[in-house]
Amino acid sequence: MSDQLLSVSGLSAGTEDKPILHDINLTVGAGETHVLMGPNGAGKSTLGHVIMGDPIYQVTSGSIVFGGQDLTDKSPDKRSLAGIFLSYQAPVEVPGVPLYSFLRTICQMRPELKTTARKFRQRVGEIADQLDINQNFLTRELNVGFSGGEKKKIEMLQLLLLRPKLAILDETDSGLDVDALSIVSRGIEAYRKECDGALLMITHNTRILERLTVDRTHVMVHGSLVADGPASLIDDIDAHGFARFENALEQKEQA
Amino acid sequence: MADATDTSRKRSQVADVDRSLYDFKYSEEGYERYADGLSTDIVRAISEKKDEPEWMLQLRLKALATYEEMEMPDNWGPSIEMLDLNHISTYVSPQTKQANSWDDVPEDIKNTFERLGIPEAERESLAGVGAQYDSEIVYHNMREEVADQGVVYTTIEDALHDPELEPLVHQYFGTLIPMRDHKFAALHYAVWSGGSFVYVPEGVTLPYPLQSYFRLNAQGAGQFEHTLIIVEPGADLHFIEGCSAPKYYEANLHAGAVELFVKDHARLRYSTIENWSKNMFNLNTKRATVGADSQMEWVSGSFGSHVSYLYPTTFLQGARSSCEFTGITFAGATQDLDTGCKVILNGPDTTASVDTKSISKDGGINTFRSSVVVGRHADRARATVSCASLMLDDISRSDTIPAMDVRNGSASVGHEATIGRISDDTILYLMSRGCSEGEARTMVVNGFADPVSKELPMEYAIEMNNLIKLEMEGAIG
Amino acid sequence: MANQIIEAHQEQTSTISRVNVPPAQTWNYLRINDLSFEVPTPHFVGDVYARLPRMFEGVECGIGDEAATWIVRASGDARFVEVKAGEQREQPIYVDIDASATEVRDTGVLVRTGASATIVTCAHGCEGDTSASLLRVVAERDARVTIIELVACGSGQQHLDAIGIDAAEGARIDMRQYALGGSRVALGLACSLAGTGARFALDSRYLASGRDVLDVNHVVRQRGRVTRSDIVTTGILADAARKTMRETIDLVHGAKGAEGSEIETVLVTGDEVVNKTLPVILCDEEDVAGNHGASIGAISPEQLGFLSSRGLSDDVAERLFARALFDDALIHADVAEARQAVLARATEVLGIDVARDIAEVLDIDFEEASC
Repeated sequence: MSDQLLSVSGLSAGTEDKPILHDINLTVGAGETHVLMGPNGAGKSTLGHVIMGDPIYQVTSGSIVFGGQDLTDKSPDKRSLAGIFLSYQAPVEVPGVPLYSFLRTICQMRPELKTTARKFRQRVGEIADQLDINQNFLTRELNVGFSGGEKKKIEMLQLLLLRPKLAILDETDSGLDVDALSIVSRGIEAYRKECDGALLMITHNTRILERLTVDRTHVMVHGSLVADGPASLIDDIDAHGFARFENALEQKEQA
Repeated sequence: MADATDTSRKRSQVADVDRSLYDFKYSEEGYERYADGLSTDIVRAISEKKDEPEWMLQLRLKALATYEEMEMPDNWGPSIEMLDLNHISTYVSPQTKQANSWDDVPEDIKNTFERLGIPEAERESLAGVGAQYDSEIVYHNMREEVADQGVVYTTIEDALHDPELEPLVHQYFGTLIPMRDHKFAALHYAVWSGGSFVYVPEGVTLPYPLQSYFRLNAQGAGQFEHTLIIVEPGADLHFIEGCSAPKYYEANLHAGAVELFVKDHARLRYSTIENWSKNMFNLNTKRATVGADSQMEWVSGSFGSHVSYLYPTTFLQGARSSCEFTGITFAGATQDLDTGCKVILNGPDTTASVDTKSISKDGGINTFRSSVVVGRHADRARATVSCASLMLDDISRSDTIPAMDVRNGSASVGHEATIGRISDDTILYLMSRGCSEGEARTMVVNGFADPVSKELPMEYAIEMNNLIKLEMEGAIG
Repeated sequence: MANQIIEAHQEQTSTISRVNVPPAQTWNYLRINDLSFEVPTPHFVGDVYARLPRMFEGVECGIGDEAATWIVRASGDARFVEVKAGEQREQPIYVDIDASATEVRDTGVLVRTGASATIVTCAHGCEGDTSASLLRVVAERDARVTIIELVACGSGQQHLDAIGIDAAEGARIDMRQYALGGSRVALGLACSLAGTGARFALDSRYLASGRDVLDVNHVVRQRGRVTRSDIVTTGILADAARKTMRETIDLVHGAKGAEGSEIETVLVTGDEVVNKTLPVILCDEEDVAGNHGASIGAISPEQLGFLSSRGLSDDVAERLFARALFDDALIHADVAEARQAVLARATEVLGIDVARDIAEVLDIDFEEASC
């Protein structure tokens, strides 16, 4: 297990009034690409947020170990600094904070990224070009008035800037038009290539996966991980949907 | 016996709503009516008639001096120029003794309350009833099982003559609303008469509400009732207040005062349906102080009066105490209603939520005015104010003036306000399903008012919906 | 230097009361209706000063008649700028108020039909008693005006800053207001959307710390049909700062189809802050929409959660908001002198390292200056 980047063991979690995740076991090795699939409301996003340490959810049992460090009780900022990145499905608007100020501050928090203002500017400029982001976005307020596609591109910009060891992309592909989708895919590829980071893709849409080499596929139904397989599992789900996993879980529960 | 002089029934379009429900009056012939205007003599006469302790007389005299010295603010609020105290009698009393059986109430007065549905409501859903006619309470009664629990529900006058209760009244009366609060608070203390004294002992929960109904029958008169409620620790009370008056052309004045003391772990709900006639100047003052872990709930429907200044005030003194204010104001032709509330959050972890609606129509003026003050020590206090205003035509007016003063860094205060009209799409949609335009508009307005009416006991919710319907039909008396 | 007329008779002061009175007032005991200032009494020794064309006299400016009159009298010479019809003026019209020299400015800008212009005002300095500026703008049909108002005074100064705007049919006013410092500062602003389809967008930002008093009065009169106003206010209150924010949207009878909205977000980081807000909507018309929202307190849990997931602790997030305010001011203040004034104030508030970093990230020369 020591070579695993992320080890989630026996994890159960939920909100104050409702358990959502049941006994999750999941490991992701350094540089691997994993896909987490499942029907709407299965708890996929919740798992992403719980790994990030979102205080809305409470962990009732189990642990989250990252890079050999137990992060189960750590706050999200500590997890972020340790190298976890969660791309939000709906990135939050932060009025009053220009994107530039935000990017500079999140970089300066990390010793490995701390650099002169000149180099920072240069780096941000390069990534923005790579993602077809107009430079004038940098002086606009973080996510305020951005379209869905623009928000996702800005998430990719942060991903490439922060170079995390593990990126959890929560339905980054949802609601994007073809052009935005291709730019986001380009960002994900660049992350894999340039940072050699691990990926946990949360999706129920397989198109975005076409350009990625997937190491492992996980299926979540009703808050439980019910199947685990190679990349070919994706094609199977594409063809047959989630019904057989749901039925299997039902039978297991009845038994 | 006086005869009914005006019971002309003005039928509105809708058969089940009848303005005459409120708009009838009886002669006040034979009543004791003090001279119009204000003087030391009148104040002394009221006190003497009530055979009051000396401290109360002194309080009245001091209040009169304060009234004469104070000014109305000149930089905000509706005009009260038309209100001339020299033509208002501050004391009018039917020649009757307070009764505890409706059979002992003079017939015209009894008829009044019968028509307002009070005795019926008492039989069906109330734990006790007080009924005031002009300046005096004419009926007071409470269910026996409630009295057995030690609940006191009487008039302040009677409490002052009860050696056990007099010290309580002395201890609390006038301590929450200072006489300098505003000019008409001072006037109130000088000439107050009638109202209720309620005492709910520790740990007692009343199964049904208590209700006081205030009827101002005399013209050119004032009503100045004082309500004093003490809810001891762990106790729970719902108090309902109703008011109405027939229509006159002469100005009438209502300047009551309500002082509510809610101790720790207690709850008080105070509901009001106010339907004064449209010649009424309503300058009423209501205030509550709330202890730790207690709840104060206000439900307030304001339909009547010519001018209103009405802002029930809550002091959240105890930790974790809370206040909910739900209100609706409907301003029609000739009405200028300045209503809202004040909340002062002083204890830590206190919460306040204010939700108000206003509807303006036929040139009516609505002003929502509020203040939320968070004190220095109110750590983690939370307050939200939400007000929605509906404009039904382009000759009416609706202003929203909410002030906030926050002095604690860990507190959070949110405010939202919207002003707008019924969307054409909504009306079109409802008409496409077969409603007439009038019905559609009434339906939307009732829906708009729904968050308030659902907080009221059933009979009052129906009354409120009927009032809205009446206003919407344009059958304003 | 003709603008500096206050002579050194500092012992002679007068009081301006009723500063920043909103159109609709409320309970006086709340002390939210106005503010007063002790100011030097203007002295005249027979000089005849330039004044603005009469048309500017009717422009409401939010700060109150008494204060506006004082500014006009104390300023001596007034400056009038006319932007010709159709002219797309590139160079910003810059109004520099050197607070250290207790300057008082009176400026009138007429932007003719179809013209566009940017106006930047900047009050700055470290010492000195009272400085002030009154800017009145008349925007004719289809004019486009951008206004950047900066108040970057030092901790020991008092300043009055008033802006009045009249917008005709189709005119569009985009305004950014930055209150970055000063011990006692009044910002008055009134915008009359008189013509059909006139629009006003205001982004107002403030930071008040120490024992600073910041008093703001925003008034938008929507008189024309289908006019739009959009006010977004974001502020930070630290230490024992005292702030009063009055915002009034007045939907005047006849303004059919008008829409107005105001939103205020206040981040309170100090324990002894006094934070007063009076967000008023006046409505005398049926076919309109007025909206107001305010949230006062800490950064919202959603925002904190998001920032936290990017590695920012709550403390760092608060510092980010303060820095962001200066970043934003520099991004929009496109005049070299104004930028240096903002950086000088940033140095005072955030320290020289952060100020320099801000300048470098935005590729602005940094001249070390501080109070």
